[in-house]
Amino acid sequence: MPLAKSSFLKKRAKGLVWVASILFSVALVVVPVYLLVKYSVSDSGSINTGGAPIPLWPYAPTLRSFTYLFTESQFYGVIVNSIIIALATVFCSMLLGVPAAYVLGRYRVPFRRTMLLGLISVRLFPDISSVIPITEFFIRFGLQNSYLGAVLGHTLLALPYVIFIGMSAFESIPSDLEQQAQVMGAGGFTIFFKILLPLSIPGLIAAAIYTFLLSWDEFIFSYFLLGLGKISTLTLFLRQKLAYAPPQNLLAAISVFISVPVIAFSLALQKYMTAGYTSGSVK
Amino acid sequence: MSAVVLNNICKRLGTNQVINGLSLDVKDGEFVTLLGPSGCGKTTLLRMIAGLEEIDKGDLYIGDKRCNDIPSQNRNLAMVFQSYALFPHMTVADNIRFGLKINKTPPDVIQKKLTWALDMFSLAGLEKRLPRNISGGQRQRVALARALVLEPNVLLLDEPLSNLDTALRELAMEELKRIHHQVGKTVIYVTHNQVEAMTMSERIAVLNSGVCEQYDTPRMVYDMPRTLFAAAFIGSPAMNFFDGTVIIREEDAGVDTPLGFIRIDKDRFGLAQKFVGKFVRVGIRPQNIAYVEHRESKRYSDTTVTVEVELVETLGDRSLVISRGNQDTKLRFLIARDITLQIGQKLDMFLDGRRILLFDQETTLNIFSEPKI
Repeated sequence: MPLAKSSFLKKRAKGLVWVASILFSVALVVVPVYLLVKYSVSDSGSINTGGAPIPLWPYAPTLRSFTYLFTESQFYGVIVNSIIIALATVFCSMLLGVPAAYVLGRYRVPFRRTMLLGLISVRLFPDISSVIPITEFFIRFGLQNSYLGAVLGHTLLALPYVIFIGMSAFESIPSDLEQQAQVMGAGGFTIFFKILLPLSIPGLIAAAIYTFLLSWDEFIFSYFLLGLGKISTLTLFLRQKLAYAPPQNLLAAISVFISVPVIAFSLALQKYMTAGYTSGSVK
Repeated sequence: MSAVVLNNICKRLGTNQVINGLSLDVKDGEFVTLLGPSGCGKTTLLRMIAGLEEIDKGDLYIGDKRCNDIPSQNRNLAMVFQSYALFPHMTVADNIRFGLKINKTPPDVIQKKLTWALDMFSLAGLEKRLPRNISGGQRQRVALARALVLEPNVLLLDEPLSNLDTALRELAMEELKRIHHQVGKTVIYVTHNQVEAMTMSERIAVLNSGVCEQYDTPRMVYDMPRTLFAAAFIGSPAMNFFDGTVIIREEDAGVDTPLGFIRIDKDRFGLAQKFVGKFVRVGIRPQNIAYVEHRESKRYSDTTVTVEVELVETLGDRSLVISRGNQDTKLRFLIARDITLQIGQKLDMFLDGRRILLFDQETTLNIFSEPKI
């Protein structure tokens, strides 16, 4: 009997540890978002409380920092820049990455492993240490302070992801489907456009969204390649504002702008990450 | 006219000789099954005919054209994969239309064929469904319909029934047979299931380790297996085997075995003549061993042996008895299910001398079968 009791307690304790660790993980994600949103709508009295504890929710919530942002003419240009660079990065990475992913995913290529290793090597180093030689290189080709430079820089970062995600999308298509089409008389192009591409679309969309987000909130490469020059992105704008030590609520508002698409797309991304699209074709 | 001819085909995958000098001919309109255990090379052979696998050596003729180097697309074949390989992003109708569209068939012909296929395979009403939203049996029929609308010279089927449950499989076998009868296409069918092979084929090629052990009608494969392997692989419950020595005495010919002297039928005396004194493997199917009380009179060719019951398995309509004879020789036979047997009970059984097979120990060949493949 005492044995049973102790094992019951053990189970109970185990359960509590589980719940606690889940709550902790959720808090890790939620608390920063909460702080961000809270600061972005805070009135100055709720930030500089003169020694009193900072309230959990502002005394007088206000959208002033947002309306201020909208009156700043530079802000619109910055958003447009971010969008242009992100979309162009998506275009470049997909254009280069999808064919590479197709070949690596569906053919036995010599030195495949070596190539894959080479691909991720860019990301094996911290961005801050790879950015210096790359900037050096870009400057030599006159790519600094240009859209093209920023796009190529971001593409460099996104390409490994596009290739890896795309590769697994192509790999997951059963080769039976390809061979079936072949026996039925389809050539390589028909097979690619009618069978493989439609079936890998969910994976490719995921890769595209991921690339967009990567470019959208990228800071280090943008900072080195664009500086704080003519072309500014949202992240650079935030950095620029930071230098003037503006009220925290303004910084928080900019951060909200940077974060919203990330959160929205991440939720959308989940749908495409779920497997099982090819179910029903095989067995 | 032959629809498909394989001439001394060889195939090596890595260090493994998958197909070793195999020759077959399939007549126009014939239903031929490649039957064998997994790893015997039957699927590889089918894939070589389809053009999905290269042929190392030998010739493949489809119609009267040598097809070794003709790409899959241009062989005018259709194949149904074991997995069915339906295109998951296309509806049933689009799956069926796919091959016709890429072959630039006029739209009105496509429509006509689609209607025919939906009707022939009882798929009407499912046109707009996706493969994942139809049942296994329906998927199998879509795969067949998609293959047949192309009017191929040869239809290749790679274990198309292996994913169906037993009831559905029986239905599908009937269906396939009916369709073969109606359409009259040449079919090459791959399976490891002997029931499917027996039920549907006109000829069966029994494959083992890349070699064709026998190529004959289902009946001949069952009654007169050419090799020891074919004898052991075909038939359920499996054939009984034991060693013996061929002897001929005045009026009698037979084999001396641990069970005693077993007589063989008179008609076979001549063929056994050459093997007198030789060591052979004796085979008899459980179906050819009869319980003495079941038969009013003993035939001259029958041999009586006494066995001790070891195990009784109910098969439903009959029982399978596993017994031991003299010198612990195992003997399986069938008995009516209403006879209750005790373990250890002694029984007298008749071995049918007209059905006993003798296999040369060295060549494993059946000494009674004609010297042909």
